[in-house]
Amino acid sequence: MLQKKICMLGSFAVGKTSLVRRFVESIYSEVYQTTVGVKIDKKNVKVDEKEISLVLWDIYGEDDYQKMRWTYLRGASGYLLVADGTRKTTLEKAVSLEQKVREEVGAIPFVLVINKSDLIRDWELDPALESQLAAHGWGILRSSAKTGEGVEESFSLLTRKMLG
Amino acid sequence: MGSAPRHSRDPLEFRPKMAEAPPTRPASAPDEPPLEPDAQAYLELRQLILAPEQEALERLHQRVDDPASRTEDVGSVVAEAIQLRRKQGGDEALSVALAPTIETALRESVRKDPATLADALFPVMGPAIRRSILETLRSFLESFNHILDQSLSVKGLKWRLEALRTGRSFTEVALLHSLVFRVEQVFLIHRKTGLPIGHAVASAVAMQDPALVSGMLSAIQDFVRDSFHTSQGQGINRMNVGDLDVWIEEGPYAILACVIRGIAPRDLRDRMAEVLEDVHREYSAQLDEFDGDTATFVKVNGELSRCLEHRYKEEVKTKSFAFVYGTAALGFLLIAGWLGWRSTQYNRWDRLVNTLREQPGFVITSFGREHSRFVVRGMRDPLAADPAQFIKSSDVNPADGEFHWSGYYALDDGIVEQRARSILSPPATAVFTVKSGVLCVSGAASANWVKDIQSRALLVPGIHSVELSPELNPGRLAFNQAKSQIEGGVVKFPVASAALSPAESLSLRKLAENIRSLLLAADSLHQSTTLEVLGHTDSTGAEAVNLDLSQRRADRVSWALGQLGVPERILRARGVGTTNPLRTEDNEENRQFNRSATFRVIAPVP
Repeated sequence: MLQKKICMLGSFAVGKTSLVRRFVESIYSEVYQTTVGVKIDKKNVKVDEKEISLVLWDIYGEDDYQKMRWTYLRGASGYLLVADGTRKTTLEKAVSLEQKVREEVGAIPFVLVINKSDLIRDWELDPALESQLAAHGWGILRSSAKTGEGVEESFSLLTRKMLG
Repeated sequence: MGSAPRHSRDPLEFRPKMAEAPPTRPASAPDEPPLEPDAQAYLELRQLILAPEQEALERLHQRVDDPASRTEDVGSVVAEAIQLRRKQGGDEALSVALAPTIETALRESVRKDPATLADALFPVMGPAIRRSILETLRSFLESFNHILDQSLSVKGLKWRLEALRTGRSFTEVALLHSLVFRVEQVFLIHRKTGLPIGHAVASAVAMQDPALVSGMLSAIQDFVRDSFHTSQGQGINRMNVGDLDVWIEEGPYAILACVIRGIAPRDLRDRMAEVLEDVHREYSAQLDEFDGDTATFVKVNGELSRCLEHRYKEEVKTKSFAFVYGTAALGFLLIAGWLGWRSTQYNRWDRLVNTLREQPGFVITSFGREHSRFVVRGMRDPLAADPAQFIKSSDVNPADGEFHWSGYYALDDGIVEQRARSILSPPATAVFTVKSGVLCVSGAASANWVKDIQSRALLVPGIHSVELSPELNPGRLAFNQAKSQIEGGVVKFPVASAALSPAESLSLRKLAENIRSLLLAADSLHQSTTLEVLGHTDSTGAEAVNLDLSQRRADRVSWALGQLGVPERILRARGVGTTNPLRTEDNEENRQFNRSATFRVIAPVP
């Protein structure tokens, strides 16, 4: 069985945990995230008839109280960069996170997931920035933790990118 | 690549040619003024002939002058040169020459990144260090022993007693008591990714997804290392929750974690290190290039299961030989005693059963122990002795057993005799004896009882024939009966008369019948019989007269009997006068008895 470590990165409260809650196997409570700074879940995906086990490190988003632990990114084969469509700053943060990742562990595959697509009317996202990023070769997907939209697709897309 | 072809291309080989070359070399620079056509043609020819050599020469110049290409040349032969040097026997000088450089290089390497060298040395350092630690531990144990010697806790005393009993050192006993553990799960975790490479689990252990546990374990390692700023290789090596222990051993590429229930011995740590080293040695390339595919680590779980040790309290309980033998001997004695008691009990019952077996009227069909009770089965004649009396006089406990009897007719003589007696109810005067089914009857019995005894006795089970003693012969009995009746008869006459009164004539009829019975019986006995009729008179009167009278009286009765059908040949009439009086004539009535005729049956023994 092929296993891959992937991380979930994004600002505080962009819905990283909610996004995957319904889609993963988990034995740990979310308390770990606020204590150890990470919560580990597992998700099996099937890409091109190939079963891949994704070990998902849901890393606590940086906030005023806790800094993100970059050590947790070590050995990751890819990551989901999560932003909140209703908060413009989170996308900016995502961009800077991507840059930081590149510095820390190198260029590894990632997918930008813009969450809360169910609240599309409240979005304050700059479509220009979005298309600009897409032009840079970023894989961008919109998702909703509420409806489940785009979640499976995000994992599949990331997996494809990782398998190259 | 061999050295010979390389030498042929060595720039030095071109030297002789180079020495000859300058005199023939034309002065032909590209910026020279144009020459005559002939000169031009010569130049071209020259160019044509000498150009390749000239170019080669040019290249050689460049190689010699350029440090980079010189390095390249030396680099390609340096290994061979060192080899050659060693072959020539100069390796000591070489070592001396290289040592400072190598030392400096190592120092530099350690200064730059100690991990590199540590990683390289990891597989070889472990065993060496462990050996040295073992030595240290051994001496430490001695002092540990000393410290424990001082302890006087209840447990300590208990262990001390055990040590005394078993002849082991106290330390050993104390340690043995601590060695109660089980390794439930073993994880081999890729250090960089936190992904599980291998997972071994003991049987019947509830386990979580190894990927999640591995991830979290390495996250916690990272967390601790990060939080306390420890260096690489200095993470948690033990976590303890209740009676669960997680022991972690770190290698350069992988982490080995054992989940242990209970208190594991120190040498498990050594085992873990050994396994981790073996894994690193065997899979070093795969570990380095691990991309999440565990397919190349197929055999790793087998390695990991070497750590799945366990030891239970029962196993470490050691007993001295003396104790074991003592227990065994006691057990043996108990068993022997019990067997002995059992056997005594059995023998008692067996004796009782044999006694019963010998009794008439008993047949034992089976005897044995059923559900720890003795059970005797057999048949018993109702007339046989009561078994209770034998049980009472034996030494068995009646409560330990039971008897099951079914009825039958025994053929033992004694029993058959008893049976005949109870069925045939003989008179007290009769004597019964039975011998092999033959009933012998003797003594006295009435003719009536004897009459059908022959047929009745055959109905008694066990009797197939009857023997009557001669006196009980029915014919004889009838004969005797008739004889006594006849001989009891008295025919009375009036004074001085031989005439029969009508009453007496009537009584003679009865007498005649008795005589016929007598003759019948005599016939069956082949007995010749004579009936003597005796005539009597009283003592009055002359003797001669009386004698005559008595004769007439005898004749008269004899005649009358003849009239009544009694054959005359058996009758003997005889007058005896007064010589044989029936009674003393002290009164008239008695005198009357003497005026009579009486009878005597004469039957000579045949």
